[in-house]
Amino acid sequence: MNNNWMRRQRMLGYVFIGPSMLGVLLFFLIPAAYSLGLMFTDYKLMNPNVKFVGLDNIVRLLKDDMFYKSMKNTALFLLAVPVSVVLGFLVAVVLNQKIYLKKLLRGLYFMPYITSGVAVAFVWMLLFHPKQGPINGLLRSIGVDNPPGWLSTTTSSMFAIDIIWIWFLLGYNMIIYLAALQEVSQELLEAAKMDGARPGQILRSIIWPLVSPTTFLLLITGLIMTIKTFGIIQAITQGGPGSSTTILSLYVYQNAFRYYDMGYASTLSWALFIVILIITALQWVGQKRWVHY
Amino acid sequence: MRKKGLFTGMASLVLAMGVMAGCSSENGSNGNNGGSAGSPNTGSETKTNTAAAADPVKLTMWGGVPPEAGPQAVVDAWNAEHPDIQIEYVRYVNDDEGNLKLDTAMMTGQGVDLYVNYTLTQTQKRIDAGLAADLSQYSDYNIDEKMGADASGWKIDGKFYGVPTTKSAFFVALNKEALDAAGLPIPKDWTWDELRDYAKKLKDGDGYGFIQHTEPYVDPIDSVLSKNGYTKADGSSNLDHLQVKQWLETLNGMMQDDKTTPPLGEQLTSKMPVEQEFLSGKAPMLNIGAWLLRSSNNFTDFPRDFTIAFAPVPRLAANQADYMTRGGLGDYISINAKSKHQSEAWEFLKWYADGGMAPMAVGGRLPASKDADQQAALDSMLGGKADTYDKDSLMYVMFENPTPSFVRNLPQEVMDMRQQEYEKYFLGEQSADDTLAAMVKRHNEYLQQNK
Repeated sequence: MNNNWMRRQRMLGYVFIGPSMLGVLLFFLIPAAYSLGLMFTDYKLMNPNVKFVGLDNIVRLLKDDMFYKSMKNTALFLLAVPVSVVLGFLVAVVLNQKIYLKKLLRGLYFMPYITSGVAVAFVWMLLFHPKQGPINGLLRSIGVDNPPGWLSTTTSSMFAIDIIWIWFLLGYNMIIYLAALQEVSQELLEAAKMDGARPGQILRSIIWPLVSPTTFLLLITGLIMTIKTFGIIQAITQGGPGSSTTILSLYVYQNAFRYYDMGYASTLSWALFIVILIITALQWVGQKRWVHY
Repeated sequence: MRKKGLFTGMASLVLAMGVMAGCSSENGSNGNNGGSAGSPNTGSETKTNTAAAADPVKLTMWGGVPPEAGPQAVVDAWNAEHPDIQIEYVRYVNDDEGNLKLDTAMMTGQGVDLYVNYTLTQTQKRIDAGLAADLSQYSDYNIDEKMGADASGWKIDGKFYGVPTTKSAFFVALNKEALDAAGLPIPKDWTWDELRDYAKKLKDGDGYGFIQHTEPYVDPIDSVLSKNGYTKADGSSNLDHLQVKQWLETLNGMMQDDKTTPPLGEQLTSKMPVEQEFLSGKAPMLNIGAWLLRSSNNFTDFPRDFTIAFAPVPRLAANQADYMTRGGLGDYISINAKSKHQSEAWEFLKWYADGGMAPMAVGGRLPASKDADQQAALDSMLGGKADTYDKDSLMYVMFENPTPSFVRNLPQEVMDMRQQEYEKYFLGEQSADDTLAAMVKRHNEYLQQNK
């Protein structure tokens, strides 16, 4: 009787998760397994003759200069995440005080996150214009003779993209931190003040450790999201100039949908998956040292 | 209370959205009706057909030109004349995503009967996939004879897998008044060094003397290599040809020393609207193709107070005899080899090429066939603005230029890697020799991989 009831409960559980599992299966697990298989073929989208080529794609990947270049660019791109997390924290702390136009400012900081990516891309391209752009106009007016070329040189383009990305992520990080700051107990802060702690000390030794689970969450989700992003780069530079902003995810996209080279694109995307896995694993291991629950 | 207010607010919002969605879907279907009944007689014709004979054959044609720039008028004219074969035009945007859409539609059998290719690079993939019918099976239309010598560039292994239908000229558009003021003649044959001189003389203050559309940007290299081969006799890359270096250094000199042409980095990242720069009179020379006419005929968006003259694209080769120029013919229309109605599609294609395409002239596309009325097409292309063009030089670049032409047929991978390397050069990251070496290395790797 009891056993029967348990079984029915279990069945009911499966029925409830059934629809979403079906979705995961159809749109994620099966394609993922399929692409794992494609890794070992020379499948090109338009070519019906598919051959198994063994490990050729992996050998090619290891010898592909563009792959290493795109890994380097990806690493540079990922720099944006910790920077925007720290900035998001500082902005949240400021906006958590009693200051003027608090709500308006919160809204403004969050705006980029809900703005259309393509619109954002075009606005930034205008801002970054090396000759007529307002950013360089400002720099020149305060006496910088040779302002950076931003998106127009191979050395600065990735950093220009980083700036856009920091600005984009900032609002989201700030909102999450604002929520986390509500959880920081006022008693602790008051006690610290009574003991004569300076604001900087309170920030560093009390608030920052207390919100560390949030920091951890933002870092992991931010890094994963960033490593998968390519839309904004596709819209702004298409990976150029040269190949200076071709990050790994964009390189995957180009191989798949520009060159139709699905076999190699699958190999690259599994490499991307492994990179994400490693980064996340490292963070899990590392978190024990600085995350306080 | 407040909560309730919020709830009713939300509810009414949801309702409003539902109503709006309802409206928009209604609008949508109305729009569709409007579209298919675009020519009022279509509806009545289908009616008479179903009454009189069997269902008409329905064909779908995919092309990259917006319907209002000609194709819709072409299709409407055909449909009115041929109640038994009805054509529908579908526009795809000629970029990566658009081509992917067309390719997927064909591979999954979604009824694409005819489609327009804009490069052989794209066509080659479609031939490999068995999606382009070999047109040499039809003996009633001699493409070589109709389209002239330039058509041969579109042959693959001696066969046509499509019909090149338009005159597709690439040229340097000139501001005639600016040239006159500087005492410079309109060239009919010139080298890049001469162009460089022109640009210096025409440069006005901080402005540029010469700008380029990014599409034909790399054509000088392809001109050299179409003539001399992309690979050397031993099968290795020929991208380090001397004239490739000459091209790099000439343009770089114009960017850095003369400051007569925009540095590439600046042009790319600002997505410089070159048509507008030229038509507003800011830059006196523009390297572009026939699609300029779409903008230059549009005085509302591009008001202009000068005459446009035309010069052929300059050559790197020292001798005119060694020179090939891009273009000649374009808009390569293929029949899907998987289509069930290939003979009907062929009928339409012949009609289109021999003059049915006349309405396309508004968008700068002149029929290539010798049997089409080219004068009429030219008139409709220039519209009421014929006096704002220098007729002689236009006729020269469109029809009379005797230079043999080539059609670019390079895999996308090679085009991209070549571009990455020359961008690095123009941005000062590597020397000309390193650039050539890098191009050759990567090209060889590609050749090795795709043996």
